Amino acid sequence: MIEPEQTDLILGFIPLTDSAPLIVAKEMGFFSQWGLNVKLQKQNSWATLRDKLHAGLLDATQMLAPMPLASSLGLGCAKVQVITPLVLSLNGNAITLSEKLHQEILHENNLAHVTLPLAAYLLQKVISVRKIRNRPKLRFATVFPYSCHYYQLRDWLASANISEEDLDIVVVPPVNMVAFLQSGEIDGCCVGGPWNAKAVRAGIGLTALTSFDIWQDSPEKVLGLLASFQQAKPNTVIALSAALKQACIWLESIPNRFEAARLLSSDQYLDASVDVIAPSLIGSCLTHISMPPRAIPSYNQFSKSTKNAASDGSNSSSNNSSINVPEYIRGEWLISQMKNAGQLKDIDVPADLVRTVFRPDIYHQMRLKLEDQAVQFFRRSG
Amino acid sequence: MAWKDSLHHTASPKQQKNVIPELRILLIDENRPRAESLTSALNNSRYKINHLANQDMSLLKQVDEIQPDIIVIDIESPSRDILESLSTISHYNPKPVVMFSGETDTDTINQYIESGVSAYVVGDLQADRVKPILDVAVARFREFQKLKVELSDTKQQLASRNLIDQAKRLLMKKKNLSEDDAFKAMRKTAMDTGQKLDDVAKTLISFLNTI
Repeated sequence: MIEPEQTDLILGFIPLTDSAPLIVAKEMGFFSQWGLNVKLQKQNSWATLRDKLHAGLLDATQMLAPMPLASSLGLGCAKVQVITPLVLSLNGNAITLSEKLHQEILHENNLAHVTLPLAAYLLQKVISVRKIRNRPKLRFATVFPYSCHYYQLRDWLASANISEEDLDIVVVPPVNMVAFLQSGEIDGCCVGGPWNAKAVRAGIGLTALTSFDIWQDSPEKVLGLLASFQQAKPNTVIALSAALKQACIWLESIPNRFEAARLLSSDQYLDASVDVIAPSLIGSCLTHISMPPRAIPSYNQFSKSTKNAASDGSNSSSNNSSINVPEYIRGEWLISQMKNAGQLKDIDVPADLVRTVFRPDIYHQMRLKLEDQAVQFFRRSG
Repeated sequence: MAWKDSLHHTASPKQQKNVIPELRILLIDENRPRAESLTSALNNSRYKINHLANQDMSLLKQVDEIQPDIIVIDIESPSRDILESLSTISHYNPKPVVMFSGETDTDTINQYIESGVSAYVVGDLQADRVKPILDVAVARFREFQKLKVELSDTKQQLASRNLIDQAKRLLMKKKNLSEDDAFKAMRKTAMDTGQKLDDVAKTLISFLNTI
């Protein structure tokens, strides 16, 4: 077993469905198994979560996958070297349209109903008619400038040659998304769970497609911590990653997923009903109040990619193709998305940036410890 | 009639120059009693809390409509991410942002906020402390903006000096001129055609490189 240099840790999280690994690790006792006493601290915005991590007020935190790169480049903040030893989840976002925009799409395209996943070209007519009639541009919301949500929304629109000049893209905190969809403040949004399901259950939105329909199996949330923290406390980081990895493995089973939904629903975490948390966790995408849900088995992925999950039913932690490895290629992909979005203009991106931020080396050290522990456990019980 | 004289006196143009313009504040705080005490603390100052942010309306729209000079926000507000996007996604003009927090250790966090200048974090906003805090935030923001303009001016000057040097060297090489003559030729062209020296240099470079 490993001896963490620091046992009392404060971890930040944003109340979203894919914060499940942190909550499960806490509630199922995985942190304590690794000798850690973790306090989960709910955060209200990504920017403040980031600043608290930089200032050492949080020891580690759930982060949007592009955020450790943005911190290390000093985008929107002072430059601070943040690393990620573990990917926490894949996919999990969706694009939800207001009921008003849904009706506008049907009307302008002479359709009786839409086919899902919704093709972005159906928006073209709406955009051009609004232009001709001098009506305001469509307004879509995302959650943060350096987020997959933003890049996924851009990609979906680009698939129909819709540029950011044809509509407005703004940032809205997830807690305000549903109200703004209803009030007409925004016409659509790309957001994580449980907010899409909340909009559908309330009858005010159509979930047009999930992020899995746009990018298959891309990292969504990662564990972020300061490079200086890892240098000073390498064992703590390994123990923390191991506990979270165990939670991710635990989350692979669908029966466990429903239990996770119940844990998440409590006031101290998501403070939302199982009705809106469970669906995406068990692979169901609620679409519209009058339409059946879609089966999206990879809606939330925490440990294995769909391919592996289908062929290999065991919970082996030695699976090298695990989605939790912060592979360089994932980081390079995110950098290319940031570049496409024009966020790296006038920025010197060091050639080794991804290698200093994405740390598969720490992941692999952790995996060995996890295997050791499993072997010892079987010896003891055998 | 003395009072009339003094009235007349305060309205003189010279005095008017010293009248400090009013600064509009957009306050984002869900704690209403605190917001009200701030508003009254700033009575009779150059700061006017025109608007208490309305949760049901997007902050972007409010920034658009109110055009605040300063944004004051609770660091724990979910709207913090909207402010973050103002300059990146939405390309709004930068504005001084003052963040406050009743709980967090603000001294540490302050070192890490973007440049510590355009945003400034303070402890809990107490009515008696608020005015000097806003003064400092506005002053720091202006200083920062000034530095930013100076930096981009310097960059611009460096770039044009490079262009002029490059054109001069090309002229010397291709036309066999001395350094002094090459520069004089460029300056003459600039004066004759009413162009800037670096524009002449640019044209020369592309011309001399094609022949």
